[in-house]
Amino acid sequence: MSFLAHNGVSWEESPKYLWPRPNDEDREFWEGARRGELRIQHCTTCGKHQHYPRFLCSHCGADTLEWITASGLATVYSFTVIRQNGVPPFSERLPFVVAVVDLDEEGARMIGAMPTVAPEDTRIGMRVRAAFRPANDESAYVDFAAAD
Amino acid sequence: MLEAQSFRRALDDAGLAKSDIEGLASAGYGGMHEVMLAEYLGLTPRWLESSSVGGSSFEFHTMHAYRAIQNGDVDTVAIVYGNNQLSASGRTLGTGGGGGGRAGMQMPLPMAYEFPSGLTLVGAYATAARRHMHQFGTTPEQLASISVQTREHAARNPSAMYRDPITVDDVLASKLVADPLHKLDCCVISDGGCAIILTTEDRARDLAHRPVYVRGAAGGTTHHSIAAMADMTRTAAAVSGPKAFQEAGISPGDVDMFAMYDSFTYTVLVVLEDLGFAPKGEGGRFVTDNGGNLRLGGALPTNTDGGGLSATHPGMRGLFLICEATRQLRGEAGDSQVEGAEIAVAHGSGGWLSTQGTVVLGTEAA
Repeated sequence: MSFLAHNGVSWEESPKYLWPRPNDEDREFWEGARRGELRIQHCTTCGKHQHYPRFLCSHCGADTLEWITASGLATVYSFTVIRQNGVPPFSERLPFVVAVVDLDEEGARMIGAMPTVAPEDTRIGMRVRAAFRPANDESAYVDFAAAD
Repeated sequence: MLEAQSFRRALDDAGLAKSDIEGLASAGYGGMHEVMLAEYLGLTPRWLESSSVGGSSFEFHTMHAYRAIQNGDVDTVAIVYGNNQLSASGRTLGTGGGGGGRAGMQMPLPMAYEFPSGLTLVGAYATAARRHMHQFGTTPEQLASISVQTREHAARNPSAMYRDPITVDDVLASKLVADPLHKLDCCVISDGGCAIILTTEDRARDLAHRPVYVRGAAGGTTHHSIAAMADMTRTAAAVSGPKAFQEAGISPGDVDMFAMYDSFTYTVLVVLEDLGFAPKGEGGRFVTDNGGNLRLGGALPTNTDGGGLSATHPGMRGLFLICEATRQLRGEAGDSQVEGAEIAVAHGSGGWLSTQGTVVLGTEAA
């Protein structure tokens, strides 16, 4: 996939301070993303899903959670265009879109950058698909791109 | 030290001595903040409170102090806040990086899932504002009007940071920080300090001023990070407001002035709806109707000191809201006085619209 590069700075560069620090609870998510899979939790008691990974279901409270690979498809609930951010590397990427999306799997909501979507093309309700941006050898971040 | 200055002035205002203070509440950006402050002030309080829930912390402090005094746990409490953020850090926070990670910053849950997107604090509020615009047709002009009306009040306040009049066009022409929020949709970064003293009704009667009464208080939270805000058009104020109003025995129509945490224009708009001053979705119309309902002379004079948008916002603003509401109810608001004000509401919003605290104040006890 090609990223919109701003001022010559690619989204593929991930400074070490942004690297995830996986633990037993969320390693599956970060390492799954590195493999190109969106791993989220599904509750076998209430049937809903959640992101980020937790010990219990944030919907019903049960601890009957299993990992599933989500479709990666989602709908934009809302978004903003970041035009000011003084922190590198984001300061060199401006402007860029950040969206809050509802995954097709009920109950799971995520936030992610949309580095391949231009601000003027972003809409609430647009269909998007997860895209994976390596942070390091073990982990990747989940961005979103236009579904088609 | 701004906290000590504020504390000293509050004691003088009340006509109390330091030795009268039995309880202390404060919040800062680190743990044990109120304990550090107690030592600095030379206090050994037997009642401590340090709810640290962002900008609304001080509405929670007021609520908890009110309950403790009602319960007889403590008689006289000082709530103190100060921050020299502008002098100490300049406007670097103003780049909007506050919520978006800084080099070397730890990434506790849930921020580990948010920082890598590059979202900023302004961006989080912008996302919520965008959703409201999408669902209800709220316009950038309506949001801008909040800033314009607030600036009119700042012009009357010699202590306000920005006092020159602005127009809706000025707001819309100011730099977009995170769509749809412009620079002039955002609160200022300033130094500032504030302190209030709460005591029993009996004690208050003998002090230097006619007392202002807490009539009701409530708080709540719906989420921490903005991605977990299930409905970005509705905050926990929809719960805290009615609860506090019920305790106070009032309805929204009884409120003479409103001290609202205006971190951003959208914060004001959504909470106006949540507290019932306007029906859900009609906050935009409410703020612009009647030539501007937030103005002095409008249906709900709001942030009569110039608010966080124009007067002062030293990191957290919650305590200043109670202070301004108190000034109004004491009839000491000078050129910004709401004539005959008897009921005021101070409402704090903290985090990323995360925590909401409502305090109803009155010239008479409930």
